[in-house]
Amino acid sequence: MSSTEQGTSSAAPAEPTTAPESAAAPEVPESFYYVHGKDKVVHKVSAGALQHSALIHGMISNLGYTEEQAKANPFPFENIDGDILQMVVDWCNQHKGKPTPPEDTNLPKQKEKLFDLVLAVNYLEIKELLTYCCKQVAMMVKGKSPEEIREIWMIPTDAEDEAAEKEAKKRAGKEAAGETAAAAGDAK
Amino acid sequence: MVSLIEMPELVMENIIGFSDFKDVLTLRQVCRDFRNFIDDVDDSKLPDSKFEGISFKILDETTIGLSYEDEDDSYSTGYCGMNNFRCFSQNVTDLGNVNIVDVAIRDLEWLLKFQKSVLEEFDVSFDEYQLRNDSPFHSLPIKVRNMFEKLNRKIKTRKFTLKTYDESQIIAFLPFIDPDALKSLEFHSLDYDGEVEIEIDEIAKTEQWKNSEELDCEFRVLNLKVEDICHFSSINFQTNTISAKYLDSMKKVFIKSSKFELLFLGWESFNENEELTNLWGPAFSTETAKLHWYFRMKDSEERILRIIIDNTGHLLWFDVCKMESIPNGAIVQDYNEK
Repeated sequence: MSSTEQGTSSAAPAEPTTAPESAAAPEVPESFYYVHGKDKVVHKVSAGALQHSALIHGMISNLGYTEEQAKANPFPFENIDGDILQMVVDWCNQHKGKPTPPEDTNLPKQKEKLFDLVLAVNYLEIKELLTYCCKQVAMMVKGKSPEEIREIWMIPTDAEDEAAEKEAKKRAGKEAAGETAAAAGDAK
Repeated sequence: MVSLIEMPELVMENIIGFSDFKDVLTLRQVCRDFRNFIDDVDDSKLPDSKFEGISFKILDETTIGLSYEDEDDSYSTGYCGMNNFRCFSQNVTDLGNVNIVDVAIRDLEWLLKFQKSVLEEFDVSFDEYQLRNDSPFHSLPIKVRNMFEKLNRKIKTRKFTLKTYDESQIIAFLPFIDPDALKSLEFHSLDYDGEVEIEIDEIAKTEQWKNSEELDCEFRVLNLKVEDICHFSSINFQTNTISAKYLDSMKKVFIKSSKFELLFLGWESFNENEELTNLWGPAFSTETAKLHWYFRMKDSEERILRIIIDNTGHLLWFDVCKMESIPNGAIVQDYNEK
């Protein structure tokens, strides 16, 4: 059945190219932009993949860079670790032009990485990925007691928190006093 | 490492949205920052607890009970004023100097904050203890009302049940119930002699009353107009005096209603049997004190309106029956527009 169809299309050269071929070779050449994180490693990413990030998408549309300008001016994201930015770039590439699935199981399992990823994704305004990440954090909270949650995420109790605050105030007070004394000393 | 408490607001809102209500309440207990955040977050960002029923009751002189159920389980919490503790499953919490009324109302407020889907039943029950000035529950109804007001959102429930000694609480609480979801109203009187009277005028003007399909009222209703009950499919109420004319207007309304099922009415005095015979023709009677009438309903071959008056029991009912349940010798009167 399918071989007959192929035969027919090849026998008619006047026919326009079939849909899958046109998707593989778009008429407008894709533009690329460059981003780097804290580690200064530059990633080349297509505008299509970057569409996931509302922040970058907005920057691209406002700047109207040529290919050369884009290459010469990579977007600097100094607040994002290199490995985290790599994760984000990979995700955007994987989901370029595709509808996002309801679940994403490839997110980091380590909470440190997950949290850094959440902050980066929130900053870059990648809505779908943020949703997956938040779902994953919610799953990590699920069914735990307040004590367990405090332990996992190293959150102090209110009493500990207050004690630490008092301690910090005391220290700040002492330092200020020290500085005043030093300043007074200098003045002399 | 970034801590969970350092997450931006949008992220925290998302996380809360994906958690269930129990996890949100757990997060609330983790630390002050979470507690403040969750207390301030807009209700629309909180997950739906999907309860089916919530019940808030004064159980005895010193105890309040709050129970709720979801698809899988039911839960109850007791608030005891004797030793000032809260008891939930096996956990007993000493409430110290905190007033149990305030704790119970706050807990109810949290349950309602999380409830977005429509409850099957919302049941509020005050007891006579609350009427006494020295009772710890004296201010309970007013405090519950203040909380409902603060909630700033109508409670969605199919059935609203209010049990009280004080009939004025019906009009005070009814406006907090979402009229669009409401199907059934139950007002129970704590006066077991059934002597507390209630003027229905104001209540019958509410959207909650107009939208309900079922009414069960244990108070003795005054001034209940037939046009105020004709939209109900099922009605149960008591009154002081009824007249043959009143019963005839009820008959005229319900005989035309395609959704009418049952009316049950208790009275204090009725002595117009003769007038009724003049209006409806002779009654069929098997027992001396019970008079039966049968009327074919409008546009229906199947549905027969049965009216039974029990003079000894001081009650009467209208219901819909089929041809086969009509006793031998009884006449079914044809539908008559007049």
